Amino acid sequence: MLGKLALAGIKNRRRDYLVLLAGLTMSAAIFYMFANLATNQAFLKANAAISSANVIFGFGAVLLILITVVYIMYANSFLLSMRQHDYGLFMMLGATRKRVGELVFLETLILGTLATAIGLVLGLLMSKFLVGFLLNMLGLHLSHLTAVYVPAIVATGVLYVGLFILASLFNLIKLTRTTVLKLLHSDELANQPKVKPLRQMVQGVLGIGLLAAGYWALADIKALQLLAIPIGLVTITLGTYLLFRATILMVIRALRHTGWAKKHLNGFLLGQLNFRVHNYTRMLTIVSLLFAMALGAITVGSGYHRQLPMMAEKIGTYTVAVHDKTAREQKLIDQLHIAHQATYTQKRQGKTVYYNASELTATPVELRAHSNSGNMNDQKLYTESLTKFKKSGISDLDFLSLALGKVGAYAPKILTAKQFAKQSGTVVMVTTVRVKNLQQDLPALKKLNKLETARFSQPGTMTVGNYQNYEMMLAFFGGLEFIGYFLGIAFLAMLASCLMFKILSGAPGDQRRYRMLYKVGVRQSLMRHGIAKEIGILFLIPGIMGVIDVLFGLQMFKPLMAAPMSPYLGIGSTFLIFIGLYAIYYLITLALYWRIVLPQAPND
Amino acid sequence: MTTNTVVSVSGLEKTYGKANERQYTALKGLNFTVDSGEFVGIMGASGSGKTTLLNMLSTLDTPTKGDVVVNGHDVTKMRGNQLADFRAQEVGFIFQDFNLLESLTAEENIGLPLALKGTPSKVMDQAIHEVAETLSIADLLQKYPAELSGGQKQRVAAARAIVHHPAILMGDEPTGALDSTSARELLDLLTTINEQQKMSVLLVTHDPFSASFCQRILFIKDGQIGSELRRGDQDRSTFYQGILNELGTFNE
Repeated sequence: MLGKLALAGIKNRRRDYLVLLAGLTMSAAIFYMFANLATNQAFLKANAAISSANVIFGFGAVLLILITVVYIMYANSFLLSMRQHDYGLFMMLGATRKRVGELVFLETLILGTLATAIGLVLGLLMSKFLVGFLLNMLGLHLSHLTAVYVPAIVATGVLYVGLFILASLFNLIKLTRTTVLKLLHSDELANQPKVKPLRQMVQGVLGIGLLAAGYWALADIKALQLLAIPIGLVTITLGTYLLFRATILMVIRALRHTGWAKKHLNGFLLGQLNFRVHNYTRMLTIVSLLFAMALGAITVGSGYHRQLPMMAEKIGTYTVAVHDKTAREQKLIDQLHIAHQATYTQKRQGKTVYYNASELTATPVELRAHSNSGNMNDQKLYTESLTKFKKSGISDLDFLSLALGKVGAYAPKILTAKQFAKQSGTVVMVTTVRVKNLQQDLPALKKLNKLETARFSQPGTMTVGNYQNYEMMLAFFGGLEFIGYFLGIAFLAMLASCLMFKILSGAPGDQRRYRMLYKVGVRQSLMRHGIAKEIGILFLIPGIMGVIDVLFGLQMFKPLMAAPMSPYLGIGSTFLIFIGLYAIYYLITLALYWRIVLPQAPND
Repeated sequence: MTTNTVVSVSGLEKTYGKANERQYTALKGLNFTVDSGEFVGIMGASGSGKTTLLNMLSTLDTPTKGDVVVNGHDVTKMRGNQLADFRAQEVGFIFQDFNLLESLTAEENIGLPLALKGTPSKVMDQAIHEVAETLSIADLLQKYPAELSGGQKQRVAAARAIVHHPAILMGDEPTGALDSTSARELLDLLTTINEQQKMSVLLVTHDPFSASFCQRILFIKDGQIGSELRRGDQDRSTFYQGILNELGTFNE
């Protein structure tokens, strides 16, 4: 009978349970997506250019587990706050504590198991879709990457079910120890945090100190090696938390005494924030970390994505070389945005490749300057006179490679036009093309390279042209690029569900408060603005903190992205896109909140 | 409508439920007026339509038929922001469950109607302190609702209801959640406000003791005004007896 009653209670709060289930499901799905990568040793070994990727994933997993624990704690307290009134009522009606305890335990566990199961299925689907989408978008091929990976399924299942068993036990203990009266009147009681200025000062200073230590650890990754990551994680998390705790409350207090607080709903807004600041600091810390990790991962991923072609472009002198181009190849060349193009006639005889001097004078071979600064941007293109070219340029690797075959297998020789005409041998027309922007022409270049390598198979790892340089670098760094994007998107989704949860769980209380404001005669528009501000602040604080974290944290990737690459190059556009996504997410949350919280006027 | 009428209700009807559903008529053509400075009580059993009437007067609900004019404004013709502004400026409310915002201090709660109007903060402070003196809650201003007793909360709510000098103060069972001492204190305060500030008060209650503080009582039965009782020169306890007698016959 009591079971039936409990079920009826759940039915009545269908919407709340749906939110709870959706949040937990998302969390489990994201955890699976992460575990899928992190525990897949074969994939990591094959694709991560650096051996430490393994360890980075290890720390990532620890962090994600911590976040999951906190997340489930939130979800659990949301569940408990929804149910305690009902359970209090059951006890008042004479149900034994033992019986009610059983119910609580079962309910939590069933909900958790259900969420884990659905989450795993969702995680599988998301992995499949996201992996396919990303690989396609980034033009990557990664081996050993599958959507279904059994060890990850086991890891996710064990962690989540384990956590839910803990949560059930916690609920059981909590409910059986609270008095019936307290359960019945569990509506939000004001807990006004006491302000102790000295303690707050200490907290603030300590917070900033810890943050500084964390940023320093990340920047000094060369010296600290892998130790930098756990140090950074712990200090930045604690530092952010302490800083939020110390400053947010102080700022609110200070603002409350200004004239600004006495205008319209500003005072109410500050009161709301002050009222919830303790809950919020924890949530804001987590969100700022998630924000930083999502943004950081995507920035690094897109950094590789954008900079690999840039770097490849700076290595050789031409993008592709085509020998005896076919009509199909010509068509592809016509699609390219060409910066420089040259066609030379080769005559091959024995171990020698002959070139026509008049052709080389008409279109001199482009060469790349060597610079000692280590900055590839200084390595400009130049040409030289034929006499000079015969002495130095002729031994340029790119020029030698035009002969095809092993380097050094053929020696180039330059003949005057007359001698060349008389020279016997197989005639090959070679065309070199340098495009304006490698990134822009990648699809056409890919096809061109395929046709060319199919006709002239090249021995060993010999590369001809910058396009092939790019492909080689992609094989090396592509794994990191993919991981960056993948994790970025996973963290972003996690952040979304985290914020959503926290904010929605505050909605029932707010519903009551806004109803009061409505009765007192607050305009609808004023309430809308008030909510927009409150939620805006909740989005803004972790956003700002997250951006700062990323700006410092990118230092960590300096050793991995050596010049001319840089973790900071072109981050503006990535940041803008990310912030745009975040803003869209804010608007969605706001619209949802408006719908839940704002009272409807009778005329509407 | 004479100039000294603050509330005028004519032919007020309220029907719940849509035309094709089963309908329930809560108010069936009510007519009455409240003069400026009057202290009027509305009594009736549960389900008689008291709360429906108050919701119409305070624009929280719209009537099916009829007119409600409060301080010269026809509230049935107002929409959206006009309604909100009307509630904020023309009416003061005291609710049974206080309706205080627990995240604000007493002072901030009281100041809310002024803040909505955009009153300068100095004027606001002055007004808050004046009203706090009147209601003897000056020492409670920095406290949060959770730190106050029921009686104190209701006095803070009363302060919020009158701080902006509304045309009429409406109370919906304001003593419903109070012990008898606090209830008497609050009613005495309402009487003082009514007498000293000449503020009109409309009290909806089913409690004869509360009603005995009024000058005139309208009895509602089944959505209509059944009878009316005037206090005249009687003292409060005589009037109280009168109300009890009236209720005795009224409910039969």
